[in-house]
Amino acid sequence: MPGAATFPKGPLQMDIILSGQLLFSALVSGALYALVALGLNLVYGTLRLLNIAHGELVMIGAYTAFWMMTLFAVPPLISLPLAALLCAGLGWLLYFGIFRRLLRNPDLAARVEANSLILFYGISVILQNTTALMFTSSARGYAYLGNVITVGEVSMTGNRLLSLGVAGTLTIGMLLFLRFHIFGWSLRAVIERKEAARVVGVNVDQVQVITICAGFAVAGVAGVLVSMTEQITPFMGFPFTITAFVVIIVGGLGNIPSGILAGFALGFVETYGIALTSASYRSILIYGLFVTVLLIRPEGLFSRAVKS
Amino acid sequence: MNLRTAALLGLLALGTALLPLLGSPYVIGVAFNLMMWIALVQSWSMLSATTGYVSLGHVAFVGIGAYVFVLSMDFLPLPLGLGLAALSAGFFALVIGLPVLRVRGPYFVILTFGLSELVRNIVLRIESALGSFGRMIFDAPDPGVLLWWMLALAIAATVVAHKIRDARLGRGLAALREDEVAAETVGVAVARLKLIAWVASAVIPGAVGALLLLRTGYFEPGQAFDPIISFSIVTMALVGGTEDARGPILGAAAFVLLSELLWSNLPQLYMIVLGVSLIVFILFLPRGLIGLFGRARRAAR
Repeated sequence: MPGAATFPKGPLQMDIILSGQLLFSALVSGALYALVALGLNLVYGTLRLLNIAHGELVMIGAYTAFWMMTLFAVPPLISLPLAALLCAGLGWLLYFGIFRRLLRNPDLAARVEANSLILFYGISVILQNTTALMFTSSARGYAYLGNVITVGEVSMTGNRLLSLGVAGTLTIGMLLFLRFHIFGWSLRAVIERKEAARVVGVNVDQVQVITICAGFAVAGVAGVLVSMTEQITPFMGFPFTITAFVVIIVGGLGNIPSGILAGFALGFVETYGIALTSASYRSILIYGLFVTVLLIRPEGLFSRAVKS
Repeated sequence: MNLRTAALLGLLALGTALLPLLGSPYVIGVAFNLMMWIALVQSWSMLSATTGYVSLGHVAFVGIGAYVFVLSMDFLPLPLGLGLAALSAGFFALVIGLPVLRVRGPYFVILTFGLSELVRNIVLRIESALGSFGRMIFDAPDPGVLLWWMLALAIAATVVAHKIRDARLGRGLAALREDEVAAETVGVAVARLKLIAWVASAVIPGAVGALLLLRTGYFEPGQAFDPIISFSIVTMALVGGTEDARGPILGAAAFVLLSELLWSNLPQLYMIVLGVSLIVFILFLPRGLIGLFGRARRAAR
């Protein structure tokens, strides 16, 4: 998985656990998880859609960066807005092509979560297999900023530092935007009480379109970041979908700030959990956390539930 | 279900039972797949179609059945092993049932999925700790015999699913789909009904897992617990429709046919068609093929 560092096996010493190296690893994964989950959470919060094609948007972002780099030698940093635009466009198409119909039909909207889950499953299968048909299923990658920078006792590669920087800036920027900008207020109003927001004059339709585009765009950006450090394939998205779901379940569906906190928390739990046990326990750790939280507090560990 | 439908289904079952006489391994293989999916989708519908508790983790029962079965092969004769596989899946459902069924709506959907992946990863971990990387099955019965067993499971699942819809259990389940709190208030034993339907929907998939294993001849946890199976069950149920017992059969038949046409040559195209049909059915035909037929018949009158 992205950002997860590997450590030599053997008796663990406190100095490894306390090292800045491990902290850096945890921060890199945490920021990426927070970013991926942010997009999923925005779409769930405002539209009540469970987007299990979210990881496929990460995949599309990753392929965008890969082809721009390979064909035109355009560095990933320049591909960021391009991937964002591409995914936002896809969000726009899906909203007007599919989801507006779902949300407006009272029979379908009555079970919007289950129905959207199946719809997105269909979309995810289409995106994966179309990509596989176009570009084959083989793993691809490119080298970018692989140089090692050492600060104090912590060694880091340029691409992971960049990934941390971009993901961190974006999540914090998004939080500030939601907190202080007027559109952010409307968005939070739609998340908390859609009907009431409509009554006080929020253009709910507009907020929903912009949110789905923004949520998709963020995932595309995350994909560009992932492609700098990982191999990419048409089927790489699913683990990201799962991780993002774990994060927003732990944080509480639809609660944006808690979701970001939970993203970082998962990065830490994963990095330190693997350091203390072994990498083969990663999936058990993640799914165990997921199932436990759902059983004990389905509304999320950190927050009260958003009313649906 | 009226008499004519029952007679038609009986004839189909009889026809399937006679297929091994043709002696074509290909025909037997396709029929085996069809019966397997019918058994799985009917079982799934026992809880999920009637209550709206959509399970996206049914592969867990299939995988547990397969795993228990492969472990029991050393000391149990096949039929007892099959029974044990079914019972273990049912027992697992019973144990996790009470906490899991308290979780509702979208949380239930993702919880069941998460659970099946958790079980898969635990079995993977156990197997690699035991130093086992896949287990071979020797002296499996003849494919024709396996088809008969799978046919028996498909029939059993269809009958039980049908009975549940009609019986008091089904009425109770339908009531709790409409409004769980109201149903409980007027005296429906909500928790118990859900648990019965949930356990019932797990037992046959356990036996299906064991038979599938005999058919493939190989146990590998990643494959036995493949989440695609859970997704396929839900897809077939949606496409077929679950209003009555014919829906799951139609849904399973449509996808087995589609996969025969496309899977071996164009697997990616098969998956794309699957994705597109999901979207089309949810948006335009939410009652599935069975609803479509009903509408066509009314229009003809």
